[in-house]
Amino acid sequence: MASYVRRLPVYLLLDCSGSMLGEPIEAVKQGVKTLLSELRSDPQALETAYLSVITFDSSARQTVPLTELMQFEEPELEAGGATALGEALEVLMDSVNNEVRKTTEEQKGDWKPLVFILTDGSPTDVGTFDQAAPKLKDMKAANIIACGAGSNVETSYLKQITDNVMMMNSVSPGDFSDYFKWVSGSILMSSKSLDSAPGAPIELAPPPTGFVVVP
Amino acid sequence: MRIEEAVGPDGTRYPYVKTDNPPRGGMKHTYFAPDRSYVVQFFNDPADARNPALRSRLEAILTRYNPTVPEAAGGAAGNTERTAAYFAGRFCWPLAMVESPEFGIVCPTYPPQFFFGRDATVTDKLNLEGTDKRSNWFTSSNRKFFRDAELGDFRTMLSVSIRLARAVRRLHAAGLAHSDLSNNNVLIDPVSGDCVIIDIDSLVVPNMYPPEVAGTRGYIAPEVLATLEYERNDPRRQFPRIETDDYSLPVLIYQYLFLRHPLQGPKVRSTVSAEEDEFLEFGPQALFIEDPHDASNRPPDLGVTIDSLGPGLRNLFVRAFSDGLHRPEKRPSASEWEQELEKAWDLLHPCSNPDCPGGWFVLHDPDHPVCPHCGTRIAAPDLMQLRLKKPAGREGQWRHDRMLVLYDGLQLFRWHVFAGELRNERADRTPQARVAHVEGQWLLVNENMTGMISPKGNLVPRGQAIRLEDGALFRISEQERGRLVEVVRG
Repeated sequence: MASYVRRLPVYLLLDCSGSMLGEPIEAVKQGVKTLLSELRSDPQALETAYLSVITFDSSARQTVPLTELMQFEEPELEAGGATALGEALEVLMDSVNNEVRKTTEEQKGDWKPLVFILTDGSPTDVGTFDQAAPKLKDMKAANIIACGAGSNVETSYLKQITDNVMMMNSVSPGDFSDYFKWVSGSILMSSKSLDSAPGAPIELAPPPTGFVVVP
Repeated sequence: MRIEEAVGPDGTRYPYVKTDNPPRGGMKHTYFAPDRSYVVQFFNDPADARNPALRSRLEAILTRYNPTVPEAAGGAAGNTERTAAYFAGRFCWPLAMVESPEFGIVCPTYPPQFFFGRDATVTDKLNLEGTDKRSNWFTSSNRKFFRDAELGDFRTMLSVSIRLARAVRRLHAAGLAHSDLSNNNVLIDPVSGDCVIIDIDSLVVPNMYPPEVAGTRGYIAPEVLATLEYERNDPRRQFPRIETDDYSLPVLIYQYLFLRHPLQGPKVRSTVSAEEDEFLEFGPQALFIEDPHDASNRPPDLGVTIDSLGPGLRNLFVRAFSDGLHRPEKRPSASEWEQELEKAWDLLHPCSNPDCPGGWFVLHDPDHPVCPHCGTRIAAPDLMQLRLKKPAGREGQWRHDRMLVLYDGLQLFRWHVFAGELRNERADRTPQARVAHVEGQWLLVNENMTGMISPKGNLVPRGQAIRLEDGALFRISEQERGRLVEVVRG
């Protein structure tokens, strides 16, 4: 029998700018690995979650298209260049438009995608960013959670993308690891939790210790 | 390894291994005992510790509502050593409360058959050693990742269903509702046909303030989902109770027997959003994919249907998912499920096709002995049944009670041999006799019966066999309530 189970698309937007060089980018790689193995060991996530990675440095690209967990290959991540977060948002909007199935009279659509943005700086393509961010926010096509790592992040930029913003105060490998555990916890909650009445805000795991939710 | 101690109200100490990021569920987080024989679970919300309603509910669950402890040891009334032992295998029932360092409970670790061993999967991308066997590893598309030996067959999944129905019937008989029966809270072992219900602490206890759980997506009753938007004190709001378990239970049974969800079909209710469509699909506009009157949610490639289980179970599914989907009072009880599933168990027959995906099926219609999983017809010489009769009214009068489909290796138990014995938690599970089908002959071998008699009326000692021939009609045991049986070919 054909499957009538909805997919849960998950997009990771990962900052690969020069400031991530060294320990941070290694921690992110490790984090993606952990995320993948935690999601694979949960039957519900394995059945429903699909994962994509969008990376940004001086430009942005979809490094891994939306892929089921068992087929997902971890991307090669390298750090260098500027922080084209604006372009990354454009890539995200294109990907969501192309990859996320809409509900029609004939087919069951995907769940609203979950988007996790991780950045350690502020956008260097401010012009593009100023156009893309409000557009993305208005589309309401995804549940977006932005996380800033370290003191170089201007949270006001992230607030233009989404109301769900949190800050990681240090950029230690332990914090990145906690962040990815939190991401997997939130994906698991989202794949299980009950959507009460449609349109209710999504439930996320409580943020890890040392992380601050930006009001 | 850092060992800390949780302490119960009576001073009992429960050492546990303290870790930085303990596994965290919606309500509690979990630490293991150093020897992993139990877990200590603390409530996430500190307010729970001060909640007298939660505390008194847990006290009731640990003592007078506890089916896993004999009455003499402080468990539920009427509970014996045997019934307590039986249900200790079906429930992961809390053992104690703890007060320090935080408020929480102590639960036994799940038995080892509910964890994956090494090499369970066909791909090295999926290492599940030590992961618990939640139901939906086996009832979803995830099945394709497992070796055949992990998946069991139709027979073992029917066994899982019977044990689950029996356990839920026991809860309901005491007035308890589980309130969150789901693929996450029932662990199954398809190899042995065993199951265990976990997360007992969210039970609804009679006359006590109900827990805060609503349920799990796909298992929450439609009326609960449809009224979630109302405030807790709004009279329109529906809460988990026995009748909502009576929805969740057959969802699980349907998934075990058919490996699909009973409401998940092709029908689209709303194109506004997936969220709204899903809400309608499982809530106000839920529709059984096998609804007898409305085919609009029926998948074109449905495969095996409820008709393959015979009229008894078919009717229960129709009552649960058609008549009773939006009318909770029409749903069959757990006890009805237990009884019909047991009857179906006695009609099981192995499929003669070695590659059959089900391996076994319910041979409810001897005139049409065709396996629903693969279409194989069972050859006539392989078909034999016993009609089990029970005394009716006056001495010497008998009434048809139930059918038993025979196959080589089938074991007969006391509930087959004696009228009025039930296959429940109180039953003696010692095999009494065994069927052998060798060289075209059907034999019944005495394994443990005193007073077994042959069709000719002779006493049959243990280890000896009698021949079962078409049309034979005889008392199978000379003991009181020994049944009259009739051998019928076909």
